[in-house]
Amino acid sequence: MEYAYVNARIRAMKSRLLDRSLLEQLINKPDLDSLIAELEKTSYREELEKAGVLFSGITRIEVAIRKDLVKTFRTILNFIKGEDAETLLTIILHRWDIQNIKTILRGKKIQANPSEILECLIPAGELDEAALIELVKQPDVKTVIDLLATWGIVYARPLTLNFKEFTDTRDMLVLEYALDTFYYEDALSTVKTDESDDARILKRMIITEIDINNIKTVLRVIRDRIDREEATRYFIKGSTEFDTEKLLSLMKTGTIEGALKQLEQTPYQFLTKIPLEYIAAERISAFEKELEKYLLKKAISQFLGDPLSISIPIAYIWAKYTEVTNIRVIARCKVAEMSEKELREALISV
Amino acid sequence: MVDFGIPIGAGIAFGLGALGTGIAQSKIGAAGAGTIAEKPETFGLMIILVAIPETLVILGFVVASMIMIMLV
Repeated sequence: MEYAYVNARIRAMKSRLLDRSLLEQLINKPDLDSLIAELEKTSYREELEKAGVLFSGITRIEVAIRKDLVKTFRTILNFIKGEDAETLLTIILHRWDIQNIKTILRGKKIQANPSEILECLIPAGELDEAALIELVKQPDVKTVIDLLATWGIVYARPLTLNFKEFTDTRDMLVLEYALDTFYYEDALSTVKTDESDDARILKRMIITEIDINNIKTVLRVIRDRIDREEATRYFIKGSTEFDTEKLLSLMKTGTIEGALKQLEQTPYQFLTKIPLEYIAAERISAFEKELEKYLLKKAISQFLGDPLSISIPIAYIWAKYTEVTNIRVIARCKVAEMSEKELREALISV
Repeated sequence: MVDFGIPIGAGIAFGLGALGTGIAQSKIGAAGAGTIAEKPETFGLMIILVAIPETLVILGFVVASMIMIMLV
């Protein structure tokens, strides 16, 4: 594929992302109104104005940034429409489908308010806003899965296959794991058949995600003292560096400290630098946050990769996602009147 | 008898320079079009960047001319 035009456009779009100084200005705004006023000076202006007709306050920001994110992703897909890269980039965007379906299923399980569920969704994947609204309207988990099956959405298959186990155990992890496994297996099978450099770049990213998910599972299993045999079920296969054997040896250490020691020789050695009190208290959230940061850093560093490859669109998608997440965090913290220190801790600084 | 080696050499010097310029300008032009689509204010800069590979063909032309002078 001819990347010169597409990647130049994406790099120009990158220059419109909020830089650190602008993010600082947003953090220092005293309230939500001044935050919106500052955001109106950026590329979010158009969507903020549109959202302002129907909504106000935090909802206005949420709706505007969500629409902006979706519009941006659709623009990138339009640049590469009909090219091989479209198939590869769609794999990344399907992450949001998985995330949305998980959110809807969780919401339906706890019988959350449909409008609350809808607030948490990002219609950036194959399922657009209209489809998500229809899914959210369903009364329970079963009807959501049935509707997905009726529409012929591929994610209905793993959900239907595991639904009986879910009804027996009422454990949402069963469905979530089935979805994750299906997504990663499908993604890897697509990139494995493709010999191009683009597919290799994407494969590296997918394997990093699988590793991160598996390391998170190992840490949770150690903390919750879950049976090892049962835990191995929840490993996602496909990684070369962290295969089941390596993950089992991490688990066999029995302590977070032991597992971290084994990770010292891997790219995840940064986890050993987490303060000792977190390790002693087995606060997994601190590790999860660091792992998420690592994934984002790795994805955004693709901007330094081959300028005429899929690296640039991949890096941009993640950079935009990080920016939107940070704006959301700032807005939510302003509403909750959290201190600046707490706000900075909640941000994803990449 | 006319020595064909000299005009052929001049042709190669000019032709390869032109080919190189074409390849470079196609890439720079595509990237430039993309940049201008997003940031129209970069139009002037892009014109300059697209023109830079012209130096290759000009150099080829100069070398070809010098070779042809040898013929006279």
